[in-house]
Amino acid sequence: MAAERTDPPAVICRAVAKTFAGGTEAVRPLDLRLEPGQTTALVGPSGCGKSTLLRMIAGLEPPTSGSIEIGGAPPAETLRRADLSVAFQDPSLLPWRSVRGNIALALSLARRPADARAIDELIALVGLEGFGDTRPAQLSGGMRQRAAIARALVTEPRLLLLDEPFGAVDELTRQQLAQDLPRLWEARGTTTVLVTHSVTEAVMLSDRILVLSPRPAAIVADIAIDLPRPRAPGDARTDAFAALTDAVHEALSQGMARAEPPLAAQ
Amino acid sequence: MTTLALPAPGPRLRGLVLTLLALAGWELAARALTGAFVLAAPSQVLGWLAANPGLMARALRETLTNAAAGFVLGNLAALALAALALLWPRAQALVTGVALVVFCLPLVATGPILRVIFGPGAGPQIVLAALAVYYTTLIPLLVGLRAAPASWFDLVHSYGRGRWSALVHVRARAALPYLVAGLQIAAPAAFLGAIVGEFTGAERGMGVLTIRALRGLDVPMTWALATVATAVAMLAYVALGALARRLAPDAPPLLLSPPPAPARRQGLRAAALVCAATLALWWGAIAAFDLNPFFAKSPTDVAAALLTDADAGATRAKLGVALAETAAFLLPGYLAGLAAGAGLAMALVLAPQVAGPVMSAAIALRSVPIVTTAPLIVLALGRGAAGTVTLVAVMVFFPTLVACLHGLRQTPGQVMDVMDSFAATRLTRLLRVRIPAMLPAFFAAARMAVPAAVLAVTVVEWLATGRGLGSLMALSASLSDYDLLWSAVVLTTTLSALCHAAVARIEARVLRRYAPEQLT
Ligand SMILES: Nc1ncnc2c1ncn2[C@@H]1O[C@H](COP(=O)(O)OP(=O)(O)OP(=O)(O)O)[C@@H](O)[C@H]1O
Ligand SMILES: [Mg+2]
Repeated sequence: MAAERTDPPAVICRAVAKTFAGGTEAVRPLDLRLEPGQTTALVGPSGCGKSTLLRMIAGLEPPTSGSIEIGGAPPAETLRRADLSVAFQDPSLLPWRSVRGNIALALSLARRPADARAIDELIALVGLEGFGDTRPAQLSGGMRQRAAIARALVTEPRLLLLDEPFGAVDELTRQQLAQDLPRLWEARGTTTVLVTHSVTEAVMLSDRILVLSPRPAAIVADIAIDLPRPRAPGDARTDAFAALTDAVHEALSQGMARAEPPLAAQ
Repeated sequence: MTTLALPAPGPRLRGLVLTLLALAGWELAARALTGAFVLAAPSQVLGWLAANPGLMARALRETLTNAAAGFVLGNLAALALAALALLWPRAQALVTGVALVVFCLPLVATGPILRVIFGPGAGPQIVLAALAVYYTTLIPLLVGLRAAPASWFDLVHSYGRGRWSALVHVRARAALPYLVAGLQIAAPAAFLGAIVGEFTGAERGMGVLTIRALRGLDVPMTWALATVATAVAMLAYVALGALARRLAPDAPPLLLSPPPAPARRQGLRAAALVCAATLALWWGAIAAFDLNPFFAKSPTDVAAALLTDADAGATRAKLGVALAETAAFLLPGYLAGLAAGAGLAMALVLAPQVAGPVMSAAIALRSVPIVTTAPLIVLALGRGAAGTVTLVAVMVFFPTLVACLHGLRQTPGQVMDVMDSFAATRLTRLLRVRIPAMLPAFFAAARMAVPAAVLAVTVVEWLATGRGLGSLMALSASLSDYDLLWSAVVLTTTLSALCHAAVARIEARVLRRYAPEQLT
């Protein structure tokens, strides 16, 4: 049982599509397989449907059609076992709980034993030492996002969904986090999905980048990132890295160009 | 409405000075008017209290006990109703609708009816106190239980937890500041409810003494009772405010934000459902408590009294005359109170130096059980129209002023920065930014003021003027003309609820334009 828990799951989307009640088509029928233990970055223009796709994988939003499988089971099963964590685009910390209290809440919601040491280690990892007892209102936007990342990690999920987790984090801290976090989820063997607007960050953190078209989201490019790990900030200056960021940029602008008239469903 | 923040030491000192000045002015005015049987000086009030400490203390203890019991019962009822609406969201319109109808029942008539049911004792006082508070707690509670962004619920669901965890970890705590702020308004209201209950022939209590003072034209006693009632209500308000700041320092921005306005067709369906549920409750209560049909009239009895009985025409005529008399006081008073409250709030924005002290004074005075000062206003302005209209206006004025001042402060800082960047004048800001920002609070106050205004006008008619629906209800109760009494209750309640609904409709229109985020 314990071994099975730590095995990261594969995520399979079969013809998953989402049209909202108002008629907004957010995601076109989409086929997708995320390999166990890999980090996949989703890159695409604002409003293209990245968060929607993430929420469908998390089981928080039912797809209009198609099906999703996580480790061979529907998302509801992963939810039931509290096997996944989401770092939401908006940090959504409860204002009446301290940083530590917010992280502890995730443990109790996931029915895991309270673990003060793990919490303190994570607080240090995201660079919030000394702010454990601070309320979110007294933190900066970037500090709140880091607290939300710590909260997402504390339950040691098998599936980690990060929706623009570094949006408001400053450049230096971002680089530090980009160093530390992959180490953590590699050691644990976590299947990770990372939504980001930063191409550099996508290349630095992921094993694979999916470039999405403007709404409704469809995959315009699937780029493998075969750079060796661990990666360091200096890697960004290598030719291999530059070639990959160029490829992503190229795919992004192609997607924009092909958006009118809309792409046929893939 | 927001919980009030304790003023900083500076304003507190200024408040003390202002209070002393007001007391001195009161004393001087009373001395100037001796012989007019209108105004008792503070020294006379103190003198009366010093001469009758035992009488006052016994009455106060009695009323406080009843008010506290009603406060607890009413708020428990509000919690239960909110839980029902939460567990069964489709019933929320029904729950709030029936709750509103019950809240609109004229205390002037429910008092005597409860007296007949309960007989002597504290029953009617406690029930009236509970009736006076449950609605003002229920509405903010319902808002508070939903006052959380969707992502907090996503968070709970992302760990596989359901509605129960969302209630425990998110809703309950998010609703806490709204609940405490509701309780804060409820505390003086419970006191008021208990006093009105005592007007209906109780043996002991502040209400009994008030009636006695009024009948005997005992001016110092009337003023002493009103002063004590005011002090107690303000103390309760301030004490709960302090508790609120300890329990929930994160005060909600706007407490009386409106319940979601249903679309027109749904609105009509909900109204029909509410009517049906009210009739069912009415019949059910008569059957369940096995009430004597001599005084407990059923809906069919009222329909017969109004439509088919031999004297139905006469009954309708009596009600019509009373209604016209009441409306003649109610409408001008209500509108004047709204206009004065909103107008003063806007004037204060243009003169920010005096806004602070006026705000503190208005918050304090809002908690005054105004109806207990009815005798004073009648003493001062006579039994004619002026006194009644003034009382209704005062009843409406304070909540409106406080709500509008809060609303004016809601103007988002960034918008004001934009105005700064255009070097906009104060007047431009007022017209373009602040008034739109104030509208939600204004309409919330206007809506909640409808039952309050009806309460005020009927109580004055009953105690003083001897005209209108209030007097008709009191008279028919004392003459045991229960057909007429119940018909008047139905008429008054229906009109209150309809006026409330009409204001809510205008409110929804305005909010759709100026504050769509409040209509989720
Ligand atoms: N609950 C909803 N109801 C209706 N439409 C929605 C809802 N949520 C999202 N949308 C629409 O779906 C589209 C995709 O939204 P989504 O949040 O997935 O975009 P995104 O790619 O995450 O954008 P960003 O990068 O700006 O976060 C948008 O057009 C949005 O308006
Ligand atoms: Mg998004």
